[in-house]
Amino acid sequence: MASRRRMLLKVIILGDSGVGKTSLMNQYVNRKFSNQYKATIGADFLTKEVQFEDRLYTLQIWDTAGQERFQSLGVAFYRGADCCVLVYDVNVMKSFENLNNWREEFLLQASPSDPENFPFIVLGNKVDIDGGNSRVISEKKAKAWCASKGNIPYFETSAKEGFNVEAAFQCIARNALKNEPEEELYLPDTIDVSGGQQQRSTGCEC
Amino acid sequence: MEDWSCYPPIEPSNFDLIIVGTGLPESILAAAASAAGKTVLHLDSSHSYGCHFASLSLQDFTDFLQTHSKTQSPLPEIEPSSGECNVLPLVTRPVYSSLEVNVYSPEIIEKSSKFSLDLAGPRLMFCADSMVDLILQTDINQYMDFKSVESSFICEGDDCNLWSVPDSRSAIFKDKVLSFTEKNQLMRFFKLVQKHYEDKSDEANAKISDEDLESPFAEFMSKKIGMSSKLKSVILYAISMADYEQDSVEQCKNVLKTKEGLDRLILYHASIGRFPNAPGAMIYPMYGQGELPQAFCRRAAVKGCLHVLRMPVVALLVDKDVGSYKGVRLATGQELFSQRLILSPSYVVPSGLVRPPNPLQEGINDMGTADAKQKVIRAICITKASLKSDVANCLVFLPPQSLCPEQQTSIRAFQLSSNVAACPPDLFVVYLSSVCEDVVQGKKLMNLAIDALFTVPVSKDPDENCTEHDSEFTTTKVKPTLLWSILYVQDQTAVEIDTVSSTFMPDGTLLYNNLLEATTKLFQTMYPGEVFLPKATSSDTVVEDVESDL
Repeated sequence: MASRRRMLLKVIILGDSGVGKTSLMNQYVNRKFSNQYKATIGADFLTKEVQFEDRLYTLQIWDTAGQERFQSLGVAFYRGADCCVLVYDVNVMKSFENLNNWREEFLLQASPSDPENFPFIVLGNKVDIDGGNSRVISEKKAKAWCASKGNIPYFETSAKEGFNVEAAFQCIARNALKNEPEEELYLPDTIDVSGGQQQRSTGCEC
Repeated sequence: MEDWSCYPPIEPSNFDLIIVGTGLPESILAAAASAAGKTVLHLDSSHSYGCHFASLSLQDFTDFLQTHSKTQSPLPEIEPSSGECNVLPLVTRPVYSSLEVNVYSPEIIEKSSKFSLDLAGPRLMFCADSMVDLILQTDINQYMDFKSVESSFICEGDDCNLWSVPDSRSAIFKDKVLSFTEKNQLMRFFKLVQKHYEDKSDEANAKISDEDLESPFAEFMSKKIGMSSKLKSVILYAISMADYEQDSVEQCKNVLKTKEGLDRLILYHASIGRFPNAPGAMIYPMYGQGELPQAFCRRAAVKGCLHVLRMPVVALLVDKDVGSYKGVRLATGQELFSQRLILSPSYVVPSGLVRPPNPLQEGINDMGTADAKQKVIRAICITKASLKSDVANCLVFLPPQSLCPEQQTSIRAFQLSSNVAACPPDLFVVYLSSVCEDVVQGKKLMNLAIDALFTVPVSKDPDENCTEHDSEFTTTKVKPTLLWSILYVQDQTAVEIDTVSSTFMPDGTLLYNNLLEATTKLFQTMYPGEVFLPKATSSDTVVEDVESDL
């Protein structure tokens, strides 16, 4: 029997404040971008249907809702993630240096059963700024870090221009799908309190 | 060095409301105030959410209880404030006592992180209760998963047989303990209650008089319905969940009125079948109760609340001339200001604080959880076997006088398995609690309950004790052997509402109803005219709203 976990893929986006997490989500799901930065208020999660091999999946992309500002994301946020997206700003050194902290925080809090093979993806965002002249992290340096952490796929993106965003999220979805759900904790007997509005566990029962 | 030393300063430095502590009442208030458009700063000295409502690993659990059962040593000299304020040091008070840990099987400790133990257990939700309504109303069910509590039992007789609570028509039908007459009586009673509620408008059909509704429920059932004491006990303690022995009205601390008893019966019945795939009346959040404060905090964050964990508050700032509340000083030395402050119950409101002449104190004594003299005795038992074979998650009631004639309170046990992620596979966690006034008496009673339900190893090796003691009695069933247990007494604290308000410790009931009622009142007293957590808008549109805001 297909569990809802196989139909619903939870993706979380981590990274320092201001690197463009909410904008990336918004560009991917709503194809919209706002130039003015305001610390995230009001963002919860966005969902998008994706198709793989004739089956539809719901990608549920969780925003940090601003709780990353003081590293105050609760363990519940991390739990059950199928893929973790780490974002930094190619123009801000500190945001790159903190990738490792975010990765470790994720592994600690989510405690996936196979931490070595848990799917991460790294996005170097804001490559559009100043035509790339203000960037402080080279693609080579970022890729080297990704390689050292078990070959994490790496994308350079611009949420503003929509550059590479679609491709990055395709990869995110593919890798989320490959992630085997932990154990049978999620299997069918969770109670559907939403009255079936979300249709979480329906769909293909093969 | 602690993490907070490298936090950037918190901006802005002025808020409508600062909340210290992330327990469930504080977290609900953070969500409600944020939803009402207030600017809220939510702080906690811990690295995780939940305070006295958290679910913790075994090690964190005992550490938390130990920390909060000590009187805080006096703080070092507090520096005077640079501004126009006096500084009052903020100290914590012990809220737990009589902590007793028994390790029978040391390997349990090695699995510490695989446990998610509730500090305020046993506690669960009726499918139709107000907490579930609030969860749905605020859409936080998106952040949580729930599992069904399969069944409930009453512990009966000297060898503690677990008898299924005949709580619904089908359960009565299947019951093997009740006599035919008793079954009929119970069926008729359920029908009568249902009719009473259905025909409320129709005076002629109102089957239960107002006078009866005000009478003690126990008396109503025996005198008006003619129920056997067995049936009465089922309804009083396993369905209406009365805390105290109800038969002697004069001595009873809290007499359950017929109306209250019937309301709970109706809630119970409305809960069965509310969610199509929840077979029982009750549900429990996966990973524990501690998911609730986190979910409300995320809801608050989505509405703009700023959360800072690992951030102790060391002092209150008060006006130099008037002595009224102005703000707080953090462990980093930063000073922040707000109109109002809410403190978790482990903090003592400093005596130097001058309250405004017209405080918002009215109605405080009827806040449900305000009986500060009452304590709750709680225990957790970890075993390898279920209390009832083939049952994973269940409730067990030990009604008053079932353990000994002096037992005046009902003891409840709540077993959870690994399918709610409470513990590693093949183990079970059983929460027990009872209200108590006398700690010695309460502990004695709790130990009797533990003895009734479990085999307590005499030596430290649990395997030696697996053979039954009473092998000559072939009918004696094998009780699960304890691997680890903890027992503690938790204080109750009174709600205080003012510019500096205090929330309260978990109450002695199994449900969230009292907590929610008191929290709602606190919010409405603080912010009269504001709607308490209005229905959430869908998350997809909310993100777009941000853009149009800019």
